Amino acid sequence: RTRRGDLNTDLRLGLSIVSPDAQKDNWIGPSVSKQREQRQDWPPIKSLLRTTLAVAGKADTNVHNVHNNDNSDRRRTSLFVKVYMEGVPIGRKLDLLTLHNYDDLISTLAHMFTTSITCPNGDRADHAKSLHVLTYEDREGDWMMVGDVPWEMFMTTVKRLKITRADRC
Amino acid sequence: MDPSKSRDSAESTRVIQFPNDVLERILSLIDSHRDRNAVSLVSKAWYNAERWTRRHVFIGNCYAVSPQIVARRFPNIRSVMLKGKPRFSDFNLVPPNWGADVHGWLAVFADQYPQLEELRLKRMTVTDESLKFLARKFHNFRVLSLLSCDGFSTDGLEAIATDCRHLTELDIQENGIDDISGNWLSCFPENFTSMEVLNFASLSSDVNFDALERLVSQCKSLKILKVNKSITLEQLQRLLVRAPQLTELGTGSFLQELTAHQNEELERAFIGCKYLHALSGLWEATTLYLPVLYPACTNLTFLNLSYAALQSEELAKLVAHCPRLQRLWVLDTVEDVGLEAVASSCPLLEELRVFPADPYDQDINRGVTESGFLAVSLGCRKLHYVLYFCRQMTNAAVARIVQNCPGFTHFRLCIMKPGQPDYLTNEPMDEGFGAVVKTCTNLRRLGVSGLLTDLTFEYIGRYAKNLETLSVAFAGGSDLGMKSILVGCPKLRKLEIRDCPFGNEALLSGLEKYESMRSLWMSACKVTLHGCKTLATQRPRLNVEVMKDEEIDDGQSYKVYVYRTVAGPRTDAPSFVHTL
Repeated sequence: RTRRGDLNTDLRLGLSIVSPDAQKDNWIGPSVSKQREQRQDWPPIKSLLRTTLAVAGKADTNVHNVHNNDNSDRRRTSLFVKVYMEGVPIGRKLDLLTLHNYDDLISTLAHMFTTSITCPNGDRADHAKSLHVLTYEDREGDWMMVGDVPWEMFMTTVKRLKITRADRC
Repeated sequence: MDPSKSRDSAESTRVIQFPNDVLERILSLIDSHRDRNAVSLVSKAWYNAERWTRRHVFIGNCYAVSPQIVARRFPNIRSVMLKGKPRFSDFNLVPPNWGADVHGWLAVFADQYPQLEELRLKRMTVTDESLKFLARKFHNFRVLSLLSCDGFSTDGLEAIATDCRHLTELDIQENGIDDISGNWLSCFPENFTSMEVLNFASLSSDVNFDALERLVSQCKSLKILKVNKSITLEQLQRLLVRAPQLTELGTGSFLQELTAHQNEELERAFIGCKYLHALSGLWEATTLYLPVLYPACTNLTFLNLSYAALQSEELAKLVAHCPRLQRLWVLDTVEDVGLEAVASSCPLLEELRVFPADPYDQDINRGVTESGFLAVSLGCRKLHYVLYFCRQMTNAAVARIVQNCPGFTHFRLCIMKPGQPDYLTNEPMDEGFGAVVKTCTNLRRLGVSGLLTDLTFEYIGRYAKNLETLSVAFAGGSDLGMKSILVGCPKLRKLEIRDCPFGNEALLSGLEKYESMRSLWMSACKVTLHGCKTLATQRPRLNVEVMKDEEIDDGQSYKVYVYRTVAGPRTDAPSFVHTL
């Protein structure tokens, strides 16, 4: 019999489940599939934990990555955030995990958008020379200047970046 | 019967002559409902003395008895615990509007127990009307605990806060509720001082912090406070300095940009909590702020990190400060390395629960494995309760684990991919679970998983003589499996089965058994309507309820819920529930 909706078997799972001998004696029910994930009845964890984890997984991928600077076994292999330049409707995406500090970030973006961006650690006198400054949206939805908080903390709160015209700030 | 009869009557005469009020006085000191049930069986006099002195009644299945029957037998109840839906409703296996509505009970209680003080509900449906009714009708009401309930909103909580003047406990956990606003907290009267336990951790709406701060300052007997995610670290600090007497704390969000000064203040606040033995909450906790907890961890016996996705290093540093830890709940982000740290830092550990941070992720390189579990069993010899979600396991590891910790009372292992064998030998997990039941003679609760043949159940039936609760999913080969359990486990009370090839023969093999059990649940198995009807006919004191399983195409699959009852078939069953 088939489970309603279970039209796609996940081949990867199907192949790995059972050894030939065991299969004779055993009932293997419908394999874990997207359908079960949607029904949310397996694995058996309570709904509050399930929804908390689902939200955390999507919104806070940042949090897991910050502390894995030393070891190679990273929880996630990328942390892409959207980057827009003011006046340009099409944005870019940047993987923050490829960067190590603010200098990296500024130089990468300056290159990507072919412009000069104020370096947060730089001399304020240079400010007049740059065309743009870098801002970011944090977890609370506020737009902030990049560079005030430690890099690690920035990684946990940044949601997206915007390059704004220097004369606007 | 005859030679002993005269002796019995002589003895029972002696018992009857025992003055009633003395007997009642003595019996009123007995709290455990199991002891009381035993007491009530001694003689008619004891039955009567017991029923007049019982203050607390525990009803494990709200449909096993009616409120009228309860009220008739126990005239002086002040405290009630009621459980409703079958446990699998936690995992969406029971359709909504199934039942277990508390209102019928409240109506009878309002009449018979107007002095009711405590109500603890688990998996019941509770509407706002019921909460308003409760608040209105019971003037001495003190304790409301709602665990995994549904049907109400924060509006209902407003009524409780407004009208229950003597409330000492409001414990709202993991309910499916409509979280409209946090305004309910502001509904406590200005001069409210009685709160001892306040848990609103699972609600998401913001509450008025001033109202909370005032409540905490005024309630000098507040011992347990678990706030929700909306409370910041800064606000937490302000609450802690007003309640240094707390024994259990659930923090709010643990992620906030604090100044050095605020950090210091928070640390000092934690230092001031000298009586803390349980800690939870810690949403989004990271290395940045965990160290403020360290001073408060010395006497910690329970640490619940289910909402903090800690890495192994972070956990290791934290548990290094928790030498007296007895119970630990974590996410599998801590990995085996984190569990190894627990093994070396927490020798007194008795309970470990590891939940999956990414339950749908098939990547076998994430989470915990058999080696984490093994490490804990080596370092924590007092371990007796484990709930472990993992992606790989071996029979050898399980056998060694129970060899290290033979005192297991609760062994719940969930290998997340259904039907997964021992990943090293590719064999079923029969021998592993066999070792569990052979070695752990005190085992009361067992959750099995992985690839399992009927042999596992043969072992369980043969060895698990103290087993009371068994959960089975995606396992077994034939009816023989389920039969072995029903025939073999004398103390079995709750059996829940899903997605197993057990059919009518298996179901009917429990004919002699079900009346001594609380309940049986079977879904996505091979039971047919005919089998259920046979069971119902032969055992009129059981309710045999069937629901069509909508998920399965063949139109013949049913969810079956069987339970003993003295109340007859349900009168409130929805159209999709058929009592046979």
